[in-house]
Amino acid sequence: MTDTSVKQAGSRPAGMAAPGSRALGSTLPRILVNSGLAQIVLALILPVAIVAIWQLAGTNGSLFGGVLPTPDRVVSAWWIWAFGPKGMGLNPYSGTWLANVIFSTQRVAQGFLVAILVGVPAGIWIGWSRLGAQILDPTVQMLRPIPITAWLPFSLAVFGISGFSAIFLIALGAFYPIVINTTQGARHVERNLVRAALMMGAGRFDILRRVVLPAALPSIFTGLRIGLGIGWTAVIVSEMIAVKSGLGYVLWDAYYVGRMDVVIADMVSIGVMGLLSDQLILLAERWALSWRLAGAR
Amino acid sequence: MAEITLRQVAKTYFSAVPVRALDSVDLDIAEGEFVALLGPSGCGKSTLLNILAGFEGASEGSALIDGGAIGKPGPDRGVVFQEAALFPWLTVWENVVFGPKMQGVPRSDYEDRAREMLATVGLKDFAQSYPAQLSGGMRQRVGIARVLVMQPRALLMDEPFGALDAQTRMAMQELLLTVWEKLNTTVVFVTHDIDEAILLADRVCVMTARPARIGREIPIALPRPRSIDDLTTPEFTRYKAEIMAEMRSAHRQAETTAA
Ligand SMILES: Nc1ncnc2c1ncn2[C@@H]1O[C@H](COP(=O)(O)OP(=O)(O)OP(=O)(O)O)[C@@H](O)[C@H]1O
Ligand SMILES: [Mg+2]
Repeated sequence: MTDTSVKQAGSRPAGMAAPGSRALGSTLPRILVNSGLAQIVLALILPVAIVAIWQLAGTNGSLFGGVLPTPDRVVSAWWIWAFGPKGMGLNPYSGTWLANVIFSTQRVAQGFLVAILVGVPAGIWIGWSRLGAQILDPTVQMLRPIPITAWLPFSLAVFGISGFSAIFLIALGAFYPIVINTTQGARHVERNLVRAALMMGAGRFDILRRVVLPAALPSIFTGLRIGLGIGWTAVIVSEMIAVKSGLGYVLWDAYYVGRMDVVIADMVSIGVMGLLSDQLILLAERWALSWRLAGAR
Repeated sequence: MAEITLRQVAKTYFSAVPVRALDSVDLDIAEGEFVALLGPSGCGKSTLLNILAGFEGASEGSALIDGGAIGKPGPDRGVVFQEAALFPWLTVWENVVFGPKMQGVPRSDYEDRAREMLATVGLKDFAQSYPAQLSGGMRQRVGIARVLVMQPRALLMDEPFGALDAQTRMAMQELLLTVWEKLNTTVVFVTHDIDEAILLADRVCVMTARPARIGREIPIALPRPRSIDDLTTPEFTRYKAEIMAEMRSAHRQAETTAA
C-alpha cells in the first residue's frame, strides 16, 4: 500500500497534495489516541467538564439555594480540613484530615487482613475438599444474603462504639467475595497438575500450598479486589454510626451540621483512597501473577 | 527396574454415559523392559497408563508392580503426560527440581543431576523461563527432564514426543534410549507412531479398539544399540508391515462394533 502511494506521489505534478498526506491525516488521531498522554487527556475531559459546569452554575459559591457548594468552596474546605490549625473551636475539622484518613485506612486494612486470613483458607478448603464444601459452604451461603448493613446493630451490641465494630463489618463484608472466588479457583485446578504433583511425591499439604493455591491465585485476586471495595463501603457505614472517628464519622457529622463542603471533600477523599488501595492490589497481582504475563512479553 | 503384571484388568468410567475403556487386559512387563503400546485414538491407552501410575483404580482384575498391588502415585513411577502438565507458576528449573524437593532430597544431591538433565534436553538456557514462554515441544522436554531427575524405577510415557518436530523427536528418542540403557528403567511407552514403537521397544503391544484389549504382542528382535539408520533396514520394514496389518484389522473391528 505504501508502495503504490509513493509511486502515485511521484507521478503527480509538484505542488499537489500527495495521497500520502491524507493517509497521514487519518493516522494522526489514532497515534494520539494510543499514546499515554492522550489517554490521560481523554480520561479527564468528562470530569473537568462536570466540575466546570458545576462551578459556573453556582452563584455566590453555591447551587440549589445554598444546598450544594461549588468546587472552589469544596477545595478551600478541604484545605482547612487538611492543613488548618488543630483544636480551633469554631471549626472542629480543621487539621484533622490526615488523622481521619489514617483511622479509616487502618480499619480497612485490619478488617481486610482478617478477611484474607479466614477467606482464602476457607475457600481453598471448600473448593478442594468435598468434606470442606459440605461443612462450610451451606453456612456461608446462608449468611451471605444478610447485607453487612443489617449486621450493624448486632456489631454495635457486641463490640460497642469502637473500632472493632468497624473492623468486624469490614472483615465480614470482604470475606464473602474472597471466599467465593477462592472456592471457584480451587475447584477448577487442572487435574493433571495435581496428578503430576502426586507422581513427584507431593503430600496433601504440598498439593494445597504448591498446586491448588497458585492455581487459584488469579481468581483469589478477583475476590480481593471486590472484597476491598466492600471493605471501604463497610468502613464508611460503620463509622457513620458505630465509631467516633474516621472519614465516615466526619461525613455524617459534617452533614448534621450542614457542612456540605466538608461532606463533598470527604466523599472525594474516600474515592481517592479506594482507588489507591485498588491500585495497590493490582500491583500485588501483577507481581504475584508475573508467570502469566511472561508469555505475552 | 520394576516388574509389571496386569491380569484381566478392566476399566469402566461411570460418567453420565458409562464408558468401558478397558476390557480384560493381560500384560506382563519384565524388569527393565521397554514396551510400546500402539492403538487407535480413544481406545484406552491413557487409561491403562493411569492405572499403572495409580491415578485410577482398575474396575476389575489385578494390577501388580513387583508382585504387590499398585498403590498411590509416587516417584517410583515417573509419568510423562500427553500434554506436558508443567506448573505454569514455576520456572523451568523449579519444575525440574519439584520432585526431589517434594521428596526431601538434599539440594546438593539433585542439583548437578537436574542441571545435567536440562542440558541433555537442550534447555540449559531456559532454566529461568516460565512454561508460557516455551514452545509445546520445549514444554514436553521439561516434562521429560523433571521425571528423569527422579530416577524412577518405571517410566510411563503417554505420547511424549507427539508434539515434537521430526528432528527434535529423533534427538529425544536417542536420548531416551541412552537413558534407558544406562538406568535400566522399565518403560511403558504409548505412541501413535509405528516407526517410533519399533525403533524404541523390546515389544510392541497393539491394542484393539475400545473396549481395549492387548490384540497382539510383537517382540522386536532388532539388535541394540539402535539408531535412526535402522528405520530403512529390511527387518524394520517387515516389522512395520506386520504391525500395520494388525492395526488395520483392529480398525476394521472397531468399525464393525460401531455399526
Ligand atoms: N475420566 C473419564 N471419565 C469418563 N470417560 C473417560 C475418562 N477418561 C477417559 N474416558 C473415556 O475412555 C476412553 C479411553 O480414553 P483414553 O484417554 O484412555 O484414550 P487414549 O487411547 O489415550 O486416546 P488418545 O490416543 O486419543 O489419547 C475414551 O472413550 C474416553 O472418552
Ligand atoms: Mg491418551
